[in-house]
Amino acid sequence: MTASPVPASETQPPEHIDRNRQSNGFWGMAAFLATDVVMFTLLLVANIYLRRYSHGPGQASLDPGTTFWYSLGLWASSGVLILAERLRRQTELSGLLYLLTAGLGLVFVYGQVKEYLRLTHLGARVDVNLFYTGFYTVTGLHGLHVLVGALALIVAAVLRFGGRLGERRSGFTGGLGLYWHFVDGVWAVLFAVLYLWSGP
Amino acid sequence: MTTVPPEAAAQPLNPPATHAPPRNFTYWLSTTNHKDIGILYLGLGALFFLIGGVEALVMRLQLAVPGNTLLRGETYNEFFTLHGTTMIFLAVMPMLLGFSNYLVPLQIGAKDMAFPRLNAFGFWLSALGGLTLYLSLLEGPPSMGWFAYAPLNERPFSMSLGTDFWAAALLLTGTGTTLTAINIIVTASRYRAVGMGLWKMPLFSWMAYVNSFIIVFAFPALNAALIMLEVDRVLSGHFFSHGGSPVLWQHYFWLFGHPEVYIMILPAWGIISEVIPVFSRKPIFGYEFVAGSTLAIAVLSFAVYAHHMFAVGFARPVNLAFAASTMLIAVPTGIKVTNWVATLWKGSIRFTVPMLYALAFILQFTFGGITGVSFAVLPIDWQVTDTYYVVAHLHYVLMGGTLFALLSGLHFYYPKMTGRMLSDALGKLAFWMIVLGFNGVFLVQHVLGLMGMPRRVYTYPDLPGWGALNMISTVGAFVLGLGLLLTLINLVVSRRLGRVAGDNPWQAWTLEWLTSSPPPKSNFSRLPPVHSSRPLWDLQHPHDPDHKRPRRHDKGGHIREEEKEHHQ
Ligand code: HEM
Ligand SMILES: [Cu+2]
Repeated sequence: MTASPVPASETQPPEHIDRNRQSNGFWGMAAFLATDVVMFTLLLVANIYLRRYSHGPGQASLDPGTTFWYSLGLWASSGVLILAERLRRQTELSGLLYLLTAGLGLVFVYGQVKEYLRLTHLGARVDVNLFYTGFYTVTGLHGLHVLVGALALIVAAVLRFGGRLGERRSGFTGGLGLYWHFVDGVWAVLFAVLYLWSGP
Repeated sequence: MTTVPPEAAAQPLNPPATHAPPRNFTYWLSTTNHKDIGILYLGLGALFFLIGGVEALVMRLQLAVPGNTLLRGETYNEFFTLHGTTMIFLAVMPMLLGFSNYLVPLQIGAKDMAFPRLNAFGFWLSALGGLTLYLSLLEGPPSMGWFAYAPLNERPFSMSLGTDFWAAALLLTGTGTTLTAINIIVTASRYRAVGMGLWKMPLFSWMAYVNSFIIVFAFPALNAALIMLEVDRVLSGHFFSHGGSPVLWQHYFWLFGHPEVYIMILPAWGIISEVIPVFSRKPIFGYEFVAGSTLAIAVLSFAVYAHHMFAVGFARPVNLAFAASTMLIAVPTGIKVTNWVATLWKGSIRFTVPMLYALAFILQFTFGGITGVSFAVLPIDWQVTDTYYVVAHLHYVLMGGTLFALLSGLHFYYPKMTGRMLSDALGKLAFWMIVLGFNGVFLVQHVLGLMGMPRRVYTYPDLPGWGALNMISTVGAFVLGLGLLLTLINLVVSRRLGRVAGDNPWQAWTLEWLTSSPPPKSNFSRLPPVHSSRPLWDLQHPHDPDHKRPRRHDKGGHIREEEKEHHQ
């Protein structure tokens, strides 16, 4: 480049201008969750498509009653998380609410493990037929999401207690919140399709 | 040039960096700067391109004469599986991401990517994936082909752990790629210089941006298929065999696989769209069409996937629908080719090495696109599927297209990345060897395919013509290999001996040419006002900037005389 013909007053520093109020973390997470939407959809479609050809234990072996109560806990945790973010000024309370959110998630995972053990006992294992191959794959992947989210929530709680979850980390909280609500939402779909809907 | 206040004229807008940390091993391990990550990606891609290239040469040696016994059948299968997987996931993809990483922040006037640490993480995941694939050599490498059709990919047919290593490798590199794509989306959405609207982004960034959306929606299909495969293999699940559906694998694989071919061509188109205008001394013809047709491609690339499955035996309407969508996708592709040619039209063309590669790209890619459309005619596909005709098609688009664009980009951006010019003589010699070699290898394969030679056979009988054509193909491969070796030598030697490049050796018009070569750590200290997609043109022609000139063409549709830049 030859010397610039522009007076210095007309140039600008390469500042990052924020066009939206949401943080980078929020939008990055949104894009990541788009990949999750595709993946869960395809896994669920595989189950819906293949379960027609399944023999042996099917949906009837599942326990929607008990699972519903654990699910309710998971869905409630979404509300708790919103509170935790609203009350971010009150360090202690907000930190405790983050912990409660994580706790509800872990209780849900515990419920799922119990369901797995019960099913395995009944002979409904992952290798028994098409329905259960799909069932364990998609619910297992979801459970993994809950587990990872719960760990991140515990990190958030610790940061909050230490007063280190300020504006500078709004990307982390924004992304985490979106992630957790998404994971809860996915469960609503999975619960409906796997436990309640008898299939095509 | 206008009269300029002396003090402003004396000072470059972006002075070069003064002191930089030493570039030792730990530096490269820990760097999060987008330019370093870009170079790491390019290096990773080059390394695996070398490995995949040697595999190709060994396969060509085996096929040089009929009834050859250099490789056993099973070994040959392992070679083409590793070759295909390596080239697509570990050579071409990393090189494309390398360019995206290096160029997008520079072109949009940003200091770095939105998530620098995530960027480094994504790169190292990809590198780990590459390592994982080759660790399979210890266990017996995979041998079911890069698209791993069920039930060949299942335990009873592929008993070695190599197939599981393969799946793990794809999950790792795929995740790395997805993270990089997310990063590019957020960066290009939020970090563009003031005044640079979406429709003023340089075309490479445009295509990298749209490409990132394709990646975000396509890779999870591969991940889902791989997870299901591992459930089958490790936990004895039933997805793709034992009562499950082998065709389901094909659906999910190609739902990823066809968008993937566009993932590999979009950044290549971006590079070509930068190179052609600069060396024609004209703005790109129909910027909006080049950019807009990319959006059509993004959507259609998912809608055509089952054209890889015409041999499955779908119902007639299904076949016809996918045949139609395949022909449709040729339209936005053709629009791009037309625009590049129109940009060349009446330009003052400079036949530099990057331009030569770009011109070869246009010819070869168009040829590959035409054989692609020929598959959309169902009876032709049924006749030639799984023959060397398909091999010829995919190499014309992937190698004659993507790889030539990568070489064009490498020669174009090398001065920016290193501050030195590549040797022109060596570059031209290598170019002609590569063009000759490439067409030597693959042109004859169309004929072989039409004569009925199936792909994925380790040897063939001495039918009339087959031996001679295969020999031509093998000789071509070695000429090609030699040309690529020369290019490598050029890249290494010019690093020390090349002419000093200066900031803007090609007189280009986008922001990356404003800063020094190589750019300082945070790219720019000040940016000029951005009003058009050619900010440096506007800067150099304050009385005739792009945005004050709404019409590029006179009433007769011809480029106006003032549009052409004559000083070179
Ligand atoms: C743009 C860059 C392109 C790339 C990178 C590409 C890549 C490929 C690859 C890798 C295959 C091989 C599938 C296999 O392993 O059997 C293939 C097959 C095919 N391609 Fe392309 N392609 C491109 C463009 C096109 C275009 C423009 C069309 C049509 C308009 C097209 C239509 C087809 C069809 C129909 C097949 C299936 C052949 C068969 O196996 O029966 N491709 N392409
Ligand atoms: Cu395709």
